[in-house]
Amino acid sequence: MHEHIKERIKTVIANLNALPSMPEVVTRIINMVNDPNVDFKLVAEEISRDQAITTNILKIANSAYFSKGKEIASVEKALVTLGMKEVKDIVVVAATKQVLDKPVIGYDLAKGELWKHNVAVAMLAKKIAIDKKKKNLADLVFTGGIIHDVGKTVLAIYVASTFKDLIQSTVDNQITFAQAEQLLLGFDHQEIGQIILKKWQFPESLQNIVRYHHDADDAPQSDIEAVAIVHVANTICQMAGIGIGGDGLYYELSGKAIEATGLDDSELQHYYGITPELLKMARQIM
Amino acid sequence: MSIELVNVGVAQLKIASSPVILRTILGSCVGICIYDRNKKMGGLAHVLLSKATNDSQPEKFAETAIPALIEQLLRQGCKRDFMTAKIAGGASMFKFASQTPLGLIGENNISMTKKILEEKKIPIVGEDTGGSVGRVIDFFLEDGRLKVKAGGHEEYYYKV
Repeated sequence: MHEHIKERIKTVIANLNALPSMPEVVTRIINMVNDPNVDFKLVAEEISRDQAITTNILKIANSAYFSKGKEIASVEKALVTLGMKEVKDIVVVAATKQVLDKPVIGYDLAKGELWKHNVAVAMLAKKIAIDKKKKNLADLVFTGGIIHDVGKTVLAIYVASTFKDLIQSTVDNQITFAQAEQLLLGFDHQEIGQIILKKWQFPESLQNIVRYHHDADDAPQSDIEAVAIVHVANTICQMAGIGIGGDGLYYELSGKAIEATGLDDSELQHYYGITPELLKMARQIM
Repeated sequence: MSIELVNVGVAQLKIASSPVILRTILGSCVGICIYDRNKKMGGLAHVLLSKATNDSQPEKFAETAIPALIEQLLRQGCKRDFMTAKIAGGASMFKFASQTPLGLIGENNISMTKKILEEKKIPIVGEDTGGSVGRVIDFFLEDGRLKVKAGGHEEYYYKV
């Protein structure tokens, strides 16, 4: 079934020009952050070369969520005041908005819904990382949260033409929506997302978050904690209906992932309960 | 004349009169739509959880939001005898480990909603709950009908 669609998707992903693009400066900054010897000045120069991004970055940096009340007038100031990792997160928000802030037809998401969902997941994932004393993962899970569903933007048109069969397949085979995508379309939105991140030359840990956010149990050991945090944050936001689409809650909440995050039942319920406050925060940078 | 569409966010409660349309998007949350067919007025409460723990925001919880919704309608001159309720939402993750309470939130929201409505003697005349679908619901105060859009499929509930 749907063999012609499978073939078409293969052609699309083999053609890098057909996939969303990312300014080179973003890739360089993401990779710079992982380099302990990186020079602040070099980063600032790198960012400032792109005028459009710089304007957006300053806008986002001055949101209450990031600035915490301080005025940030330049990229240098942002780096000094907020630190490199926060600035990297801000750059990612500024750069991915154009890819994610649009209607996603096959998943039945109106303009802004996918963007809202991804921003909320990013913020919740970061909060969980900090609360659970995994501060070293905070910026990674934030970036991963922002882009975890990027594959949906490419897969959407094929989901649109097969939606009824996909839902039917989840019910008939008792599988998740992502598994139904794999079965009927040959790829799921996680795999397509990973292919996009490879094109962008984003680090492997981010690729793993995107690739395994619904399949946390299969994530490589090296990234299991980060994947698990995004998995849980994503599930909580889906349950709260934040940017929930036609695929609804046809996914799995992994017990193993919950264990990997170290969250207990009352903590999980607490995070679900604060989603309205989370949304308010998300709106600041949307 | 265009009809006003009002979005009701997570943990919000809004009341309005004909011909306003109240809209909300639901996952595990439950949307409680109460309508006074005589006054053509109603309200929608979008609750996240069944009952409060140590949170003070009554709109978040079925246990406190439903009485608050009824109270607001009564204050606007609605009569309990003319009120009926429709409820939607309360979905759960398609799969989850059975010992995970997070997986039961949808179900608990539905049962608490029913319990409170029964206590308050407001009959439920329409229900679209459970499963694993996300729902977009439109509550038309013109005649109290409820449109539920879920998984690319639309359903209307007309009874008031």
